[in-house]
Amino acid sequence: MEIKEEIKQAYISLFPCGELDANSSIDLDERIAELIEKGQYNIHVNLEDVTYISSAGLGVFISHLDILNTHNGKMVLSNLTESVEYAFNLLGLNQLITIAKEGEEIDLYFENE
Amino acid sequence: MKAYLKVRCNKEFLATIREFMKDRLKDLQVSGQLSNQIVLAVDEACANCMIHQHQCDNYSTIEVSIYREEGTLYTEIKDTGKAFPIDEYEPNQIEEIVKARRKGGLGINLIHHIMDEIQVEEKRDYYVYRLGKRIDPNLRL
Repeated sequence: MEIKEEIKQAYISLFPCGELDANSSIDLDERIAELIEKGQYNIHVNLEDVTYISSAGLGVFISHLDILNTHNGKMVLSNLTESVEYAFNLLGLNQLITIAKEGEEIDLYFENE
Repeated sequence: MKAYLKVRCNKEFLATIREFMKDRLKDLQVSGQLSNQIVLAVDEACANCMIHQHQCDNYSTIEVSIYREEGTLYTEIKDTGKAFPIDEYEPNQIEEIVKARRKGGLGINLIHHIMDEIQVEEKRDYYVYRLGKRIDPNLRL
């Protein structure tokens, strides 16, 4: 899976592209784990180019929540497509993970970090 | 008529199953969000068979078929692996999964949230997982 990255002052933005299923979500999971290992605890993931997500893809995000919380970090997701948003909402994960509303400035979520 | 697909238990074929499901659902006049939901639930069930029942053994296969019976769309997964009682499964608590930092455990929840009927039928030397989704009975084919 192709994952573009942009390093910002207070966080890093990831831009995965393609489908996040049991086969393809491993790359994103490993990249997030690497970032956390290196001490990057503020992570933004733009899901604009993710066309499908299964439980394996959802698991990538929720499995890192606890360690980010432990380090006072944060994960913010944005630009979810309709089908991806449906999967998050179906399990109530939108209550556990910060999902930026359309047009919101991502910087604001990390400005006190 | 049942549409039918047989694939190896390799996770790379999950995308093939999703394409098959989308195309057959379109043939059955099902599209949009309803189609996406059914595709997601079937993807979860197939991934479960491949990963947990066959350990992604490339020499094992599963078969997926889809058909309509009046107001319900049925997808059947024929699997020669050991049985996985998804029909009796207690959905996992999300908070526990987060706390345990687990990546797995959400698939069964998705299947139970989406599907109206979940059955596991034991045959002589294989199992059939049958997932049913009620649809508008007036949908014409």
